[in-house]
Amino acid sequence: MSRTVGRSDWAADEDEDELPQNQIIKNKDGTETIITYAIREDGKKIKTTRRIKKTVVKQIVNPRVAERKHWEKFGQEKGKAAGPQTDTVSVAENIVFRPTANWKASSDDKGEADKKKADLKQAKIKCRICSGDHFTTKCPFKDTMGVADEATPAEMPDDAPQTGGAGAGSGSYVPPHLRGRAGGGGGEKMGGKYERDDLATLRVTNVSEFAEEQDLRDMFSRFGHVTRVFLAKDRETGRAKGFAFVSYADRSDAAKACEKMDGYGFGHLILRVEFAKKPDGK
Amino acid sequence: MRPILLSGHERALTQVKYNPDGDIIFSVSKDHVVCAWYSHNGERLGTYHGHQGALWTVDVDPTSTLLATGGADNTMRLWEVKTGRLLKTWDFPTSIKRVEFSADGRQLLGVTERRSGHTGSIVVYEINPDVDAPQSDEHVLRIICEDSKATVAGFSYLAQYIIAGHEDGSVSQYDAKSGELLYNTQVHEADMQITDLQWAPDRTYFITASKDKSAKILAADSLEVFKTYQTDTPLNSAAITPVKDYVILGGGQAAMDVTTTSARQGKFEARFWHKIFAEEIGRVRGHFGPLNYVAVHPQGTGYCSGGEDGYVRVHHFDKPYFDFMYEVEREQAQAKAQASL
Repeated sequence: MSRTVGRSDWAADEDEDELPQNQIIKNKDGTETIITYAIREDGKKIKTTRRIKKTVVKQIVNPRVAERKHWEKFGQEKGKAAGPQTDTVSVAENIVFRPTANWKASSDDKGEADKKKADLKQAKIKCRICSGDHFTTKCPFKDTMGVADEATPAEMPDDAPQTGGAGAGSGSYVPPHLRGRAGGGGGEKMGGKYERDDLATLRVTNVSEFAEEQDLRDMFSRFGHVTRVFLAKDRETGRAKGFAFVSYADRSDAAKACEKMDGYGFGHLILRVEFAKKPDGK
Repeated sequence: MRPILLSGHERALTQVKYNPDGDIIFSVSKDHVVCAWYSHNGERLGTYHGHQGALWTVDVDPTSTLLATGGADNTMRLWEVKTGRLLKTWDFPTSIKRVEFSADGRQLLGVTERRSGHTGSIVVYEINPDVDAPQSDEHVLRIICEDSKATVAGFSYLAQYIIAGHEDGSVSQYDAKSGELLYNTQVHEADMQITDLQWAPDRTYFITASKDKSAKILAADSLEVFKTYQTDTPLNSAAITPVKDYVILGGGQAAMDVTTTSARQGKFEARFWHKIFAEEIGRVRGHFGPLNYVAVHPQGTGYCSGGEDGYVRVHHFDKPYFDFMYEVEREQAQAKAQASL
């Protein structure tokens, strides 16, 4: 273990700027603190503090073996310092090896593969509209029915009260015009603010948790008419979850905003802005 | 246990060997270089330069002063262990697949490859244990393998026999003085090459590994098969552990198929079998290529394996390895302890 002390030499002999002297401090609990200074490739000074506990393990070996331990290195190792070199020697992760009497040839290997196969077989295609065994996009009721209870954040209305959205299951009162939205109600989906142009919606991520919807609206309306801002909030704390959706009336405005606002510093974080992926992957 | 990973080689390992005291590991690979490592911490002692081709084999004499190597450059070489100095080169018409010292270090055998116009053979040289003394150019014995070339060979106890494993899966016993073929028996499946032959510490019995997915323990004098260890993968190497009655088998998918298989399917694990009950007791993972050689520490405290992946992994056994006993073994140990009270 004493080699760690010697290792600091290489840094010491090639410093042009004066670096503070390396320090070795003996601690009371028997450990040593070694502080070394070096200059990195990019010119920055670094201070390395290591705390080392030295334990002496005495081992009695054959005198022949003891003699061989002090042999000079040769070949490619010629002139290298004592101790393992990092380029040729490393320590692998710990392996638990426990011999057992009834060791079974790794049956879990096969089990895993079989399980995967079975899973694949069982995986059924399920339509999100009518629960039939076809893709949602191929559903015959696609135009007449909405997607059943798959409220993604993008589809959550920004102005609806938080509790009202979930409504259906809990016993609380839900106003008639909001009823059935979670249940996939038909007519209301059409027209108005619910038919959104996802092409002009931006997804904003890495939003500070102290952000407010109004902040985003202010920032993004510089680039055009913002029709909707949705900031995902944690239900319990009321703080932002870190992502938001901003919809524009015009796609070109959205593109401009996407370009300008991506990488914009907001709060203590840097915003990431991209076009929202369409929820059904169309 | 935390294996030590030795990454000094650039190509697949072909053989790794402990010296008789177990403090140094020698490794050879297809990258033409021989490396010597301290087994306790993996520090590289040095490298031996001179070979012009892939190396197939290495062995060290009982006093750890001389090192023999053989390779695809059609030479067998003798080195001074301490300094890496080349002492002697023997030239052959074909490559050397295996070298081994006798137990007293006075004889060195080499197995030569068969190639167009040349039959495979086993040659034996007298060795002068003094590093500065000249070594003889002439072999004292040459055994021609007419039917099937020898792939591995070694000296039995007292250098009485030379035992050779062949390409066709048979094992032969030769008189080590006259070179006369005493006995030949088909041990492994026909046309399944014997890939390794390693001795028990007293050299009265040995273990063979074969491409037929099995390893067998045979007696040196009668060539009787004592034990068979049947696995599910072609084997490249097998070793007998001292102290505990285990054997370690190494192998895996053939090297040419490695890129097409995942590490799990490839079965690149060292397999531990109980030597007497011939039951598998555990595996050690780690390599991501077939194991080309496994070597056991002569004091039974660890083992190392060289893989097609270019790494040597050195393992020091920990407590569960030494504690493990079958029920009958435990009863026996208890009875013995009581008797001695």
